[in-house]
Amino acid sequence: MSKKLSFGIWSSVKMSVILIALTAATILVGAWCPQEGQVGREKVFEAFGKDNGQIVINLGLADTYHSPWFLFLIAMLSLSMLAASFERVFPRLLTLKNKMPLLDKGGIEKLPFHKSVEYEAEPGTESGGKSLDEIESKLKKKGFNIIREGNKLTGEQGLIGRLAPSVTHVGLLSLLVGVTITSWTGFNGFQPVKLGECLSFEDSQHSKLWIGSLPNWQGRVIETRRENHPTGEPKQWYTTLAIEDKFGKVLKTAELSVNNPLTYDNVDIYQSSWGIDSIALKFNGQKQTIPVNPMGKRFAAFLPLDQDSVMIFSVLDQKSDLRIFAKRSNWEAPKILTEIKPGQSATLGGVTLTYDGIIPRTGLQYKRDPGIFVVYTAFGFIMIGVLLAFIPHRHVWACEEQNDNKISLAIGGRSPKAKIAFERMIEKIIEPYEKLQIAWQLKNQTEKIVDEQIREEICQTSK
Amino acid sequence: MSDLQVVLTNTAGVTSIISFWIFVASNAFKNWKPKILGSAFWVLLIGFIALTCAIVARGIEAQRFPLSNLYESLLWFAWAIMGAYLWLAATLNHAGVWHLGWLASLTAASFFLYGSWLPQSQHDIQPLVPALVSYWRQIHVPPLIVSYAMFFLSGLSGLVQLWWGGRRVTVFGLIFTILLACSAIALGTFSQIAVYYLQALFVGGSLLGVIFSWINLKKVKTEAINASREELYDDISYRCISVGFPLLTIGIITGGLWANHAWGSYWSWDPKESMALVTWLSYAAYIHLRIHREIPADKLAVVSCIGLLLTLLTYLGFNTLGFGGLHSYGQLK
Repeated sequence: MSKKLSFGIWSSVKMSVILIALTAATILVGAWCPQEGQVGREKVFEAFGKDNGQIVINLGLADTYHSPWFLFLIAMLSLSMLAASFERVFPRLLTLKNKMPLLDKGGIEKLPFHKSVEYEAEPGTESGGKSLDEIESKLKKKGFNIIREGNKLTGEQGLIGRLAPSVTHVGLLSLLVGVTITSWTGFNGFQPVKLGECLSFEDSQHSKLWIGSLPNWQGRVIETRRENHPTGEPKQWYTTLAIEDKFGKVLKTAELSVNNPLTYDNVDIYQSSWGIDSIALKFNGQKQTIPVNPMGKRFAAFLPLDQDSVMIFSVLDQKSDLRIFAKRSNWEAPKILTEIKPGQSATLGGVTLTYDGIIPRTGLQYKRDPGIFVVYTAFGFIMIGVLLAFIPHRHVWACEEQNDNKISLAIGGRSPKAKIAFERMIEKIIEPYEKLQIAWQLKNQTEKIVDEQIREEICQTSK
Repeated sequence: MSDLQVVLTNTAGVTSIISFWIFVASNAFKNWKPKILGSAFWVLLIGFIALTCAIVARGIEAQRFPLSNLYESLLWFAWAIMGAYLWLAATLNHAGVWHLGWLASLTAASFFLYGSWLPQSQHDIQPLVPALVSYWRQIHVPPLIVSYAMFFLSGLSGLVQLWWGGRRVTVFGLIFTILLACSAIALGTFSQIAVYYLQALFVGGSLLGVIFSWINLKKVKTEAINASREELYDDISYRCISVGFPLLTIGIITGGLWANHAWGSYWSWDPKESMALVTWLSYAAYIHLRIHREIPADKLAVVSCIGLLLTLLTYLGFNTLGFGGLHSYGQLK
């Protein structure tokens, strides 16, 4: 006999639930507290103030998902899941082929839900079994697999649902493997790149335990633009990248946009954001670039003219006109001076201003994720597992015993899910026999009354 | 928003209110109760059909899948709550499910009211931001909204279960806690109160309310116990979770696939996705406790109500209580 694996407390449901609860509570804290790695230190100070923010940072709350406590919890949860999988979940697969025992009336009456009836056998039937034939046929129609031996039967429905825990646990364990592969060999990063400049991977991020390598090619931005809705809201951002080797030879040219990444050499490059870096102008033919910053929907630059006045340049995207405003301290609002189309000029106070266009900046996210295939497979297993869990697993037992002219029929079963519907199904199956039972009881009672009446009449006659 | 859409949405809202009052009024007419309850079902069905048409009309008008902002998601949520109740009532042959019926109608009506009070910009059909221009939107969001509705119904069933288990103090404690959480969300949506107070109101109120309710589980009004109804609502609660949990899983995973497709990371610990994971973990714990029969049904009912609060926090709380993150499409401010 093979020895059963036992991991003690590690495989217990209580341990799993405690670890799940602690992990959930920790993630809740991480979701509530701004994470420094995602939003920057300034946001933490903005949320809690300088002093309290520093305390939050020192406590590790602003980096919850890298804190030793969280990593410890994940490690414990993984151990618990491994132990439970090998001790309880996977061994259950071996029991799938086990046949359920057939139960007699006493056994059925011990089930969580059961019904018993007694009724009169049809004249001339001695071996019985008619009611079981009918029940078998009804259960088969409902998709039960039936095993029948004489006057006993057992039926099972939704056996595939019993695979759910195993499939889900395989998925969760595969996810751990996939994430580990990614962590040890993958890299990722974000880089804002100006038109004409190159995306490189030198500043990419990866784990401390890393055995991967960085690509020796780079992506040059040869075009980037923004498409707008009629209301002026951004509709889509596009970037055309030329993949170049270290000698500058173009290996591939392709366009990417939001939700349409570019893949080269197992590196995925994503369009993440878009903005304007600066505007190119000529003042009386002399080239100048002026950096701009986002201001609402538009991008703007402020050029102080003297202590009291400022010139404002405002632009929306590569196609839009450049709007030029002036603002003095005693004016309520800026006054528009002129609008210039890209490539055209205007004269302002004796200066010829030529607007050459914008210099856009595209935000590119990149990553190489060698574990992604395993992760996606794990996702597939988890989804199939939880969908299988939706299928209720049900067992039914029935037996019929005939004693002279009396038939005893017992039916019962169990269904951990959709219990009420299951009980109603059983009630519906046994309903015709309950009617037979009532009819038999009525007949017996009538016979009893008639007997008593006859007895009384005989007594009265004899008196 | 077209007139047709307004009429259909208003019809759905009004019918949910009417069906609520029919459910309530049925208590006053004992002889006609079955017929009155049957009519409440049909009124709710009319509302469900009207809302289905309203959503389809909005999609046709917008020329996109109509699920991209808070208002549209509220319509979907109300649709799922109404649909799920109708499904339960139909599969369980109406018998005794009406205790959940008035709660489902009330929830749908509340969400309609909440949606109608949102600014006009939410009602208007707006162009999509680049990140939402993807077929993944219709794969990722509907399972999540439907799962939230199922968890809501599960929590409400838990309340009814506790009521018929004679645990009246616990029920009142939990109702008060849920109302407190809803108030925090309403204040977060429509007032300028600092989010820290509202976060404290939601989280603090929920913690204290759940602890109070849990402690008072021992207080049982034995003459109020109706074991068969208690068992029925326990079964309904688990059935709702059995549907909601796979949908939440699919929603989280498809969100990860979309995120990986769109910006190269299937998990970025964004507050909303982290909160969805917390909700997933809490229901995973519920299922483990249920399958292995580790705790009794009344405690599981309280766990389902905790799940309702977590669902509320995931769905509406993170957008209205100022948690920020990538999922800001549902935000107003």
